Amino acid sequence: MKARWHWILLPSLLLSLGLLLASQIAFLRGGFFRDLRLGRMGTDFTLANYERFFTDPLYLDSLVLTVRLSLTVAILTLLVGFPIAYVLARLKSRWTLVLLAGIIAASFITIVIKVLGLIIIFSSGGFLNRFLMWTGIVSSPIAIVGNPGGVVVGLMHFTMGFSILLLYSVVQTIPRSLEEAAEIHGAPRWRVFARVILPLSLPGLVVTGLIVFNLCMGAFTSAALIGGGKVFTLPVLIQQTVINQTRYGMGATISAILMLVTLAINGLSVLAMTKLDKRRSAVA
Amino acid sequence: MNRYRALARARGVASVAWIAGAFVFLFAPLVVVVGASFDGGNRTFLNFPPQEFSTRWYFQIAPDLFQSLALAVGLGLTTAFLACILGVPAALGLVRAEFRGKAIVAALFRAPLQIPAVVIGVSFLKLYYLIGDVFGLRLVGTLPGLLIAHLFLATPYVIGSVVAVLQRFNLRLEEAALSLGASRIRTFRRVTLPLIMPGVYAGAMYAFLVSFGDVPVSLFLGGPGMQPFAAKIFNLMEYDFDPSLLAISTYIIVGSFASIYFLQRAIGLDQLTRSGGG
Repeated sequence: MKARWHWILLPSLLLSLGLLLASQIAFLRGGFFRDLRLGRMGTDFTLANYERFFTDPLYLDSLVLTVRLSLTVAILTLLVGFPIAYVLARLKSRWTLVLLAGIIAASFITIVIKVLGLIIIFSSGGFLNRFLMWTGIVSSPIAIVGNPGGVVVGLMHFTMGFSILLLYSVVQTIPRSLEEAAEIHGAPRWRVFARVILPLSLPGLVVTGLIVFNLCMGAFTSAALIGGGKVFTLPVLIQQTVINQTRYGMGATISAILMLVTLAINGLSVLAMTKLDKRRSAVA
Repeated sequence: MNRYRALARARGVASVAWIAGAFVFLFAPLVVVVGASFDGGNRTFLNFPPQEFSTRWYFQIAPDLFQSLALAVGLGLTTAFLACILGVPAALGLVRAEFRGKAIVAALFRAPLQIPAVVIGVSFLKLYYLIGDVFGLRLVGTLPGLLIAHLFLATPYVIGSVVAVLQRFNLRLEEAALSLGASRIRTFRRVTLPLIMPGVYAGAMYAFLVSFGDVPVSLFLGGPGMQPFAAKIFNLMEYDFDPSLLAISTYIIVGSFASIYFLQRAIGLDQLTRSGGG
């Protein structure tokens, strides 16, 4: 009777496993063969592509840039998103639902359309730049296209909506009474934040931060559109290498390294978290 | 006491300002797209606020944009439907069955979420070429080719949200139905399914959004005449921009807000935030 549950899982497992293995093996093993011209590949096993990745500054710089941008976006998203999530979760008002619905709707809309809007906002003759130049804050128009800062803004638009939703559900799990207890005992607001809210939401913050980080490491659309052929993150580089230059081998190498680095950074953060957790519970 | 009240008020003002700022940040690009779509001026660059009001771009939306939109909607709905067919049994199996290596199976189901979409795009391209070479079956630039890759992307979302619902599920309800003489199939149809339905809807919605919003996979696997909306817009933005893009994007923005309203009526927004579809 109980065994039935195994069998209903099997068809979808076989399908996803089949697609996963077939696509990834077919693609990633190419990283160990030399690219010949026109998308054909050599037949001798070689590590030349990997060697090239770690010796050619084009690839290394791109890796460093991707990690740096993703970290920046993860931190900024948490800094901006957490206070909003907190206020929304604690707000007792008819507006909460409307505000939440707005955030969900904003996160529904595909990033292509948001990027289109960002490009209009930051266009050199656009109202924002005209305003900033009129006030004298900047002397020449700020460009968003072709500049890493612009890519950060684009990526934040990609991650902000659902991060607020995730953090909102994190804050909801913290009983309000804990904060009240701390306040009754005379803790000032910042102290309640530092000693109650922050420690209790830390796991949720780390998880959200990692999700944002991972998404940014792999983000293609906003990086490609806003990067404007000048900001080469690894996903943009993969597209260039595979689609424009038909170098499947090098593309596979970049992909493998991108996924391994992302995985390693995730592993390290989880490790650091559990260490921290253990130390804290040992102290307590 | 007054000092406290002043502090509390300052805090209130600060949090309202923070929220307002965030909403401006989130919504500014959308407002600008909608606004600029009504600008009838001569386009040397895009104007916001609009210089002269006009709806002319709405009548100049290229037919192939509508085609790509129809393709994306059809593809998204099919993906969402099939992802539920695959994902709901997988979720039931994951939660209900006890077997060794369950954690590994769960991780395998989640694996597509760990692979960047660009990598999924290029690896499926390679796989499809390989299948073409070996079996003579053409998948690149075809609807089935797009559908398979989108299913691969989207199914984990359905599994995730249904698992989340099942974990809160009260098994007693099923036991009650069974002990009152309902058959297994009837119990499933009348008790289990209605209870997990909110999770299924949420998962289907995420699956649709993943498919509809995807650029890289569709960009690499779709061919000429087979470009879903997001990939089409991406291409147009990179190569030849046309102001009617703004008009059709406005339709999408309005459609998204309308769909939120209906989703709230149908399943409640709580369901959407709780399953937190990543």
